[in-house]
Amino acid sequence: MRKAKTRWRITILLLALALAAAACSEGESVDVGEETTTTTTAATTETTAAPEGTTEAPAETTAAPAPAEAVLIAAQGSEPDQLDPHMTSAYASFQVLENVYDTLVQPAADLSMEPALAESWEISDDNLTWTFTLRSGVKFHNGRDLVAQDVVYSFERIIAEGLNGWRFGAVDTISAPDDATVVMTLTQPSPNLLVSIAGFKGMAIIPEEIVTDGSIGTSPVGTGPFRFVSQSPDQGIVLEKNPDYWRAGEGLPKLDGIQFVQIPDAGTKLTALRTGEVHWIDTVPPQDIESLSGEDGVTVGRVPGGDYHYFALNQNLPPFDDVRVRQAIAHAINREEIAEAAQFGAATANQAAIPASNAAWYLDYAPFGSGDAATAQGLLDEAGVSGLTIDFLVSSDFPETVTQAQVISAELAAVGITVEITDVDFTTWLDMQGNGEFGAFMLSWIGNIDPDDFYYAQHHSDGGFNFQGYSNPDVDALLDGARVETDQAARKALYDQAAQLIVDDASYIYLYNPDNINAWRNEVSGYATRGDNAIRFVEASLG
Amino acid sequence: MSDQAPATDDRLAAKPVSRTRETIQTLMANRLAVAGLVVLTILVFVGIFGEAIAPYGINDIDIPKRLTGPSSDHWFGTDELGRDVFSRVIVAARVSLQVGFIAVGFALVVGVPIGLISGYYRGGVDSFLMRMMDVLFSFPAILLAIAILAVLGPGVGNAMIAIGLVYTPIFARITRGSVLVVSEEVYIRAARSLGAGDRRIIFRHILPNVMAPIIVQTTLSLAFAILSEAALSFLGLGVQPPNPAWGRMLAEGRNFFEQAPWMGIFPGLAILFTVMSFNFVGDGLRDALDPKQKSVIESRGQSA
Repeated sequence: MRKAKTRWRITILLLALALAAAACSEGESVDVGEETTTTTTAATTETTAAPEGTTEAPAETTAAPAPAEAVLIAAQGSEPDQLDPHMTSAYASFQVLENVYDTLVQPAADLSMEPALAESWEISDDNLTWTFTLRSGVKFHNGRDLVAQDVVYSFERIIAEGLNGWRFGAVDTISAPDDATVVMTLTQPSPNLLVSIAGFKGMAIIPEEIVTDGSIGTSPVGTGPFRFVSQSPDQGIVLEKNPDYWRAGEGLPKLDGIQFVQIPDAGTKLTALRTGEVHWIDTVPPQDIESLSGEDGVTVGRVPGGDYHYFALNQNLPPFDDVRVRQAIAHAINREEIAEAAQFGAATANQAAIPASNAAWYLDYAPFGSGDAATAQGLLDEAGVSGLTIDFLVSSDFPETVTQAQVISAELAAVGITVEITDVDFTTWLDMQGNGEFGAFMLSWIGNIDPDDFYYAQHHSDGGFNFQGYSNPDVDALLDGARVETDQAARKALYDQAAQLIVDDASYIYLYNPDNINAWRNEVSGYATRGDNAIRFVEASLG
Repeated sequence: MSDQAPATDDRLAAKPVSRTRETIQTLMANRLAVAGLVVLTILVFVGIFGEAIAPYGINDIDIPKRLTGPSSDHWFGTDELGRDVFSRVIVAARVSLQVGFIAVGFALVVGVPIGLISGYYRGGVDSFLMRMMDVLFSFPAILLAIAILAVLGPGVGNAMIAIGLVYTPIFARITRGSVLVVSEEVYIRAARSLGAGDRRIIFRHILPNVMAPIIVQTTLSLAFAILSEAALSFLGLGVQPPNPAWGRMLAEGRNFFEQAPWMGIFPGLAILFTVMSFNFVGDGLRDALDPKQKSVIESRGQSA
């Protein structure tokens, strides 16, 4: 539930290209071979200066000349703001940190939760005590063994100072009875606890020493498949293989390293992929997907994503406090047209939030028409509203919002509603949203898995992101109830009811679920675009 | 010009009648200036009647027809929402001219009096006003405009104010410089000794004699104001979507440069031609109004 993917279209320097090219000649694929088992290919020649933080790393010196390194060059659209997983909300940072840190458990490819640092977990009969057993032999990149106290420390830090402390709302105590066991007690049953405390790398387990010495923001030390080497304006972010990774027994990671370069301009980034200067890019402009998919040498990874795009009307402002006005607008817009306009077909129109690909929680519910001006006009007449003007807040930092607002403007003109678009930078956008200076605002939520992520903060009367001023006691009761309901079917029923009310009341007017899209050169194998937009190179190889 | 050095008899005779005509004649002799004037006339016409001329509505969205190239139906092609680029370029002319004229008008109305007062009264008033102008002048123009818009919020009206403010010190300075020269002239002293008041001297005797550089500066400033508006719209601070503006169309076209280069090329050309025309006319006017410059040109013409 990180808010948006930061501002990747801020126009700044496009460095990185030249060095990407320079490094590319090194990127000659080395065939690691299927029989490769443990750390035989791990002899990495440290051409880059050894960073401060890795002095304790087990020295691996081989006399034989090392083979050419398999270093994957990944291009991202924006610069990570910082590398402290608990403090950043930037998607660019998480693209890097995904490969450096681990969480207690983690979303699998199908987004169910699978073991990671915790090998197994047990839930008490009253659903109030969760006991996690840690994997043995996990080492941090600085060589120290992971112990249960690190988990306790990390979670306490998130609660005390991180952006995601609210995810521990149901947690009463966290303790480490021994080095391999973490016990969490809850104040109320919390069926989505795993997603809450380990849904993404913002919940990473970190060693206390990098906080104490202040290096966490610039030189992260985790337990993940790659360890941090350096960050510089000309090299981007360089990661190298972690030979002590807890899945080293499976021959992972296969790559010798990853270099993240930053290319803010989407067109330039795409060209860099086409010419082979980079191996992987984080996004493809929607208008280029079709042409790129047909090209030799490039693979476009595309899966239905958990993100959703929406807009919300300010219910503290008349006449948007009248549900009929909101419903009229929800009827008058054409979601298919909006999705096609903004995403060139790489999206699925949806009148609710959760996409069909999230099979466990999907609700097929579509009460509104599609560009249904007659129904909309009827509702407006009933509400006695005419000559309505909507002050519509968007941000060029998310260009699709500007496109969508223009389409909506044209669609609403059919029912006599004028849309006045205000296009500001995202920082201003957030300010104006917070101050209620809008008739409507439009954005997207990304990386959601559990329905609680989709609804609670946005639609509960006390929700932290309920800027539209929605308050429905029935919805509040349903969302509160679903939070503590441990029976999956019963929980789904509660969320379905809540979702129907939210859609009917047009608290958010949902538009569509965009596909998640990455693209890579064909020499990259073992990488897959994921439904939660996590960028995992652990199983990737160049060959 | 009447204050210029010894004049021959026939000049003396010709001057009172033909001053304006002479200016126009010199201007018309300048082919670039004439070309500029023609383009500007068309532009003003298009600016006034844009919506009537445009073959399509500026916000007629037609997704299936998006990103199609120039054709007989769509002379400049269509954009990412299937809107007619030709219609949008034409209608955007109005906003560009509006911003240009109003912003420069603002700078003129504020800057010229400041220059007149500074140059005429001198002393403390002069220092105070000119230091204020220096402060404004010390910022790069576009940066100052962005800062002003950051405070006022984006929009056409605010863009006009921002550009107007940025151009004010130019007019104040030019006016002041000319006033300093003119107010030393004998005829000003004569007027004063005859008991004319400050206001009469400033408006009847000084202002008409400092108009030439101001007119030239106005024409040139129009070009730069339109360019500034395009830059601000490019950055999303000027005209708000869905209304078309050349700068914004250029910014949108950038994302589709490979698939639909016409989205950016035509608004870019519109900016180019407009700014170039204003510059040609401005240069022509300077040649026509500035006697020193004119004599240089005449002598050149003779030697050629």
